[in-house]
Amino acid sequence: MTIDALRCMRAAALTLACALLPLASEAAPSATDASAQGALLPRDSRDAGIFRGGLVYANYCVTCHGFNADGNGRAARLYNPRPANLRMSDKNDAYFGLIIRQGGEAMGRSQFMPPWGAELTDEQVNDLVIYLRSINARPKE
Amino acid sequence: MNLFQFRSAVTLALLAFAVSAFGAEHVVAQKGKAFSVKKLSVKLGDSVKFVNEDPFSHNIFSLSDAKSFDLGSYGVGLSKTVVFDKPGTVEIECAVHPDMKMIVEVSK
Repeated sequence: MTIDALRCMRAAALTLACALLPLASEAAPSATDASAQGALLPRDSRDAGIFRGGLVYANYCVTCHGFNADGNGRAARLYNPRPANLRMSDKNDAYFGLIIRQGGEAMGRSQFMPPWGAELTDEQVNDLVIYLRSINARPKE
Repeated sequence: MNLFQFRSAVTLALLAFAVSAFGAEHVVAQKGKAFSVKKLSVKLGDSVKFVNEDPFSHNIFSLSDAKSFDLGSYGVGLSKTVVFDKPGTVEIECAVHPDMKMIVEVSK
């Protein structure tokens, strides 16, 4: 796969995230002030977090965890065990935050999950956790 | 040929064999979230040492047919070395910094 192809995939992921934003807003309407600027989401709203977290995911996580967050990214074949299926994860938000910041090895998981604490801001990590929670499809026990 | 000359000749021959057998080592720095070179041409059997000169962790991986690997994350001042044992084009990436990319051309 060429670098141009990879760039196209990232652009497609960002486009997808942008396309999903209106859907998220429709699913959980918030008390947004529909001002002359249009339907802006409040910065601290869950929908805004999902949107921003989707962008973080598309930029940093999709290579291993895949567009569908099912652990089937383009680099997944390099690893055993495979990257986690984040849609079916049973971990809570605190665990997500820890493993994102500290990496897999520090949490007794794969050494190939990098520590993102020095790369991502706290807001980006929090948004990513919100996004991962929003796509989690594991049946509630 | 005296004994000294004989020993010198043997030493030189062994050195030449070692270089041809193990290949040359190239060094690429990772600094400012970028590789120090965008493209590198190496010979089959050569190695490339990636040195992290940034104050944060980097990673090296490739999904190319000529060389697929992930060396994991490594911190400040550390390095990782890859031996290129198959000819072709190898696209090197850093998993932590998606904009960091470079190409290694491996020739016979």
